[in-house]
Amino acid sequence: MEKIKTFIHHLFIPHEENNFRAKSLHTDFLTVYLVIAFLMMILFKQGSNLHNVLGFATDISIDKLYQLTNEQRQKNNLPSLVLSPTLSLAAQKKAENMFAENYWSHYSPDGKTPWDFILGAGYKYEYAGENLAKNFLFSNGVVDAWMNSDTHRDNLLKKDYTEVGYAIVNGTLNGEQTTLVVQEFGKPMAGTFSPPSVQAEEVSAPQQILAQKTVQPKVNLLNFSFNLNVVFMVFLIIALALDFYFASKFNIIRIGGKNTAHLLFLIFVLIGLFMSTIGVII
Amino acid sequence: MSKHIYFHLKKELKDHLFDYLLLFTAGIFFLILFNIFRGQRVIEFFVLISFAFFYIIWGVYHHIINETLHLKTVVEYVLIAFIIIFLLKIIILP
Repeated sequence: MEKIKTFIHHLFIPHEENNFRAKSLHTDFLTVYLVIAFLMMILFKQGSNLHNVLGFATDISIDKLYQLTNEQRQKNNLPSLVLSPTLSLAAQKKAENMFAENYWSHYSPDGKTPWDFILGAGYKYEYAGENLAKNFLFSNGVVDAWMNSDTHRDNLLKKDYTEVGYAIVNGTLNGEQTTLVVQEFGKPMAGTFSPPSVQAEEVSAPQQILAQKTVQPKVNLLNFSFNLNVVFMVFLIIALALDFYFASKFNIIRIGGKNTAHLLFLIFVLIGLFMSTIGVII
Repeated sequence: MSKHIYFHLKKELKDHLFDYLLLFTAGIFFLILFNIFRGQRVIEFFVLISFAFFYIIWGVYHHIINETLHLKTVVEYVLIAFIIIFLLKIIILP
């Protein structure tokens, strides 16, 4: 116990034995962190290649989106949606079309509407709707963004819908590697179908969100690396703050970088890291 | 406890107000650009690298002005900047 205490003291508190600088901030320790960070970067690069680059770039899955969507509906006393393979096919076709024709909208440049894809997949609907997303890192970020947007929220919590379908597809959109999330809602029409134009317009108008990610690797590398980033930055921030505090308390003057500058830099980067998990909503 | 931090932080910021304002402004600028180009991974990474290099240059400039520049100091800024670049590359450009 005493050894651990001494080690932590040596690691975080500037004193004579660590040359009046927390050992965790010494150049040799920082070099070790750098080597570890570099090795991890290489390791994750290999991992992402194994799992299809963009597939690893985000951590969004159909299962999670479906689960979170139904959780939101249950919270609002609405019945859960049934996962429809036909709507998922429509979502897949929509995403593929968006990449093929290079657009990010509910309507394609040549005039295809969301319900064209739904009908094209063989889903005859009484009600239908669509949400789009891209550039998110995590499934909960996508659903949170939808819930924070009135129009998308209305779609998610519309009592008329009974089924839902998803597609998460990688591709290049406007020259940028992107993963699109397409969510199609519907209520199948009983009996003979005739296209209900009013409902169809309702469908497409509001929903668009952009998120990203695709194939789910067996090991959740992105989640792991994100948490690792956060933990490491928080560790550095704590080490810098403690070192600054004790150096101030003991009036220690030493050669080295400014902790205040390092802290500012790390805090800005940490904010940026969290910002990178949020996708774009249009 | 906070007395020491407050006193030294205040002194540090007061003595080098321009330098810290410069770094703070760069940080805000970094976040604004990061937000504008959110989702455009290559540009996001370029923005991060730009901020990291600015931080290194800021460190060198700050210590030159204060006549406290040593190789060890420069290495410290470079190491922290590159640790962050490598770690965030995993997230931004895997």
